[in-house]
Amino acid sequence: MIELRNVTKEFDDVTPLKDVSVTINDGDVISVIGPSGTGKSTLLRCINMLSAPTSGQIIVDGEDITEKGYDLNSVRKKMGMVFQSFNLFGHMTVLENIMQPQITLLGRSRQEAYDIAMDLLNTVGLSSKALSYPDELSGGQQQRIAIARALGMDPEIILFDEPTSALDPSMIGEVQSVIRMLAKTGRTMMIVTHEMDFARKISNRVFFMDEGGIYEEGTPKQIFEQPRREKTKKFIRRLTSLSYHIKDDEFNFEEMYDELQSYAEKLLIENERMSKLQLCFEEITLNNILERDEEEEKDVLVGIDYSEKSDVLVLKIRYKGEHFDLSETGNSLFDDVLEEKTTVLEDEVFPPEEPSKENPFAAYNNKITISFKWEEA
Amino acid sequence: MRKRSFSIIVCALLTISVIFGTVGIAFADEAPKAKNGLSKLEDLNGKNLGVQTGVLYEDLIKDDLEGEEWYYYKMPNDMIPALESNKIDAYLIEEVGYYAQRYQHPELIRMEESPGYCDFAVIVGNNDKQDRLFAEIQEFIAAKKADGWLDSLYDYWVKNWDPNTCEIKTIPETTGENGTVIIAIEGGYEPFSFESNGQFSGYDVEFMMNFCAAYGYNWDFQAMEFDSIAPGAVSGKYDFGMNIVVDEERAENSVLSDPYYRCDIVFVLESDQGDESGFIAKLQNSFNKTFIKDSRWRLFVSGIGTTLFITLASLLFGTLLGFAVYMLCRGGNRLANKLTDIVCFIIDGIPTVVFLMILAFIVFSNSHLSGAWISVLGFTLIFGCGMYDMLCVGCNAIPKGQYEASRALGYSDSQSFFKIILPQAAKHFLPIYKNDMVSLIKETSIVGYIAVMDLTKMGDLVRSRTYDPFFALIAVAIIYFILEGVLTAVVSQVEKKVDTQKRSPEKILKGIKEVEW
Repeated sequence: MIELRNVTKEFDDVTPLKDVSVTINDGDVISVIGPSGTGKSTLLRCINMLSAPTSGQIIVDGEDITEKGYDLNSVRKKMGMVFQSFNLFGHMTVLENIMQPQITLLGRSRQEAYDIAMDLLNTVGLSSKALSYPDELSGGQQQRIAIARALGMDPEIILFDEPTSALDPSMIGEVQSVIRMLAKTGRTMMIVTHEMDFARKISNRVFFMDEGGIYEEGTPKQIFEQPRREKTKKFIRRLTSLSYHIKDDEFNFEEMYDELQSYAEKLLIENERMSKLQLCFEEITLNNILERDEEEEKDVLVGIDYSEKSDVLVLKIRYKGEHFDLSETGNSLFDDVLEEKTTVLEDEVFPPEEPSKENPFAAYNNKITISFKWEEA
Repeated sequence: MRKRSFSIIVCALLTISVIFGTVGIAFADEAPKAKNGLSKLEDLNGKNLGVQTGVLYEDLIKDDLEGEEWYYYKMPNDMIPALESNKIDAYLIEEVGYYAQRYQHPELIRMEESPGYCDFAVIVGNNDKQDRLFAEIQEFIAAKKADGWLDSLYDYWVKNWDPNTCEIKTIPETTGENGTVIIAIEGGYEPFSFESNGQFSGYDVEFMMNFCAAYGYNWDFQAMEFDSIAPGAVSGKYDFGMNIVVDEERAENSVLSDPYYRCDIVFVLESDQGDESGFIAKLQNSFNKTFIKDSRWRLFVSGIGTTLFITLASLLFGTLLGFAVYMLCRGGNRLANKLTDIVCFIIDGIPTVVFLMILAFIVFSNSHLSGAWISVLGFTLIFGCGMYDMLCVGCNAIPKGQYEASRALGYSDSQSFFKIILPQAAKHFLPIYKNDMVSLIKETSIVGYIAVMDLTKMGDLVRSRTYDPFFALIAVAIIYFILEGVLTAVVSQVEKKVDTQKRSPEKILKGIKEVEW
């Protein structure tokens, strides 16, 4: 059992971990997900003290390993680690990569270490590569060897730091199947990953990390199907959003259009789709809502969301005051948009809005939501 | 395989052509030609003239000539081949030197007109013994001038010079009650100081031996490049320096005795009576002179010993020093790193000769550390810096992940370094190490500047006796080549050991009985 108590890690310019407390039980298979730069790897590296926390305690089997002078080498022997970049020792054969740590650190005989190594190589399906050197192997093979090396030390927990991120897609499968096999044997594991499907299938707990800590924690079902908090939802649905608040005549539309342009380029949204969205936006806001009454206070909130997962681009316009009906404009632009059943899609992809601090859209009484899908001609 | 033998043949041909090319240059029979027509001082306008570095004879005549160009030579005898190959048209030398040279080179003649004369004095070392030694040497010179002993010494060594018979007849006895004085001499400068049967001999040597005997000192003669004598004495490293030309500037900056001899300075020219013995006979004679006569091969052996000692000791200590410093800096201690960077920057930035001379004549001018040990110290520092840089470059080339992975497995910091990082880094830095080592061996050839009798200096001594550069230089070059070859081969063996990828499967599986395959 590993217990993190109020762990904080500060670097010169960022603080990836702020006051994190969590318990890892024996037999847990934990997936750690979240946007880049939210301290997922830092959390993993703090657990085996590869980077020491700035403050807080890490209790492993009842002992505080953050204490000064604690024999870290002995506790690290109990924690295997698998790196994104494999880090096999380049001057040793595959066999020696698995044997040497056992011989040097656990005092096993060469024969014993050899037997264990060959056993593990059989398990990961690479016994024929025993006498090869790491630079002769593919990335997927190297990563399987790295897992075997970690297993050779009989660790109580294995920490996987983005084990498939450096692999090309054809090799991800072979490494994932080895990890899945390990998960079935009841070994304690913690996996930082960007592969959502993999995380969902393999783990019994999922940590979603953001805002310097574990933002939301739950079973794979809870996190992937009913995420409770705003950022989790966005992340799971792979949403990228822009929002604008138009309050007076000085609003800079040029700047907004430029931003939309680079947004489209970044997310590979087709030009036609984006220009259609822009036309709709101009028709609704510039030509109608903002035109209606010179005296009235102008307050329009515009949101643009793109879900990579469902490939849907959504324009959300929220405004106060009198209701405005799209069908009344008579603009042919909206004809095909309105014919689509956008509401069904909306519920599926975009969560229904509840009034909360995190959701500024909820405060407006009128709303227009238009989805733009891409249809190949 | 074929490619390899081809390259061996090419190398062999190249070597042979280089050797014979050199032989050709050294022994090309020049047709006897009329001396280049120079007979008066004014004929020298616009000519190329040779003179020894540091003797300042050119000052005597410079103002009377126009358009002439001066070439400076380290050793007086190096001017003979220069004259013979027409690099220079004439050279300036003191009359005595000319007599000594003419004995071996009858084709040399002197210009009757002399630009002047020089007085020669003893420089007294700038140390705590200076005042006493100065008084004593002045007294000695005055007394010996008065009783005619100096004149008879001059007649014996200079006027009647014959290199085959001139020896110090009786070495005086000294009580040695007042300690030892260190006397700087050129060592390759007949008839004043030269090597003969393993000992120094000559006018300067006999003169100083008698001085020492008269005042109860033991003598310690140290040979060095001529231009190191005065600076060495001024720094206080040596108690006396011999054969110093008296001039005003020197007299101001240092303590010079009264002149102990005076001689004319003359221009030497080549006559039209060339040497006409055959090529093979010349070669034999040259070989004989260089190695057999006076058992001169012993000089080479002792030079090899010194060079080997300096090289091996510096290699060993330098490697250890560089390694130790790297281990200290590896932890990331900012002060240690900064300090090392600064020291390396300074040492790397100073030319090796200058660095050694700074050590010998400034830092250790008053210590009893021998020149050889000072050289070892200097080269240790230089090689240590190189070693440190090599380790930095080599270890930085290993991805950080290697260290992290080993620490994560449970290796300690030093286990990670020695078992994971260093074996991989060695592959990167050993080739550089080999190069640095060869450079080091070659660089040791400058230790003659601080009075160390290494291989190069021994070659110079022999050359100054034989007046024939060929065998002495070629032998020295070959010996350096062999030394480099042997040491490089040793490191190459280490390199092979380090390259784990070339091991056989049997070696990898050593100690495993039941191999399942």
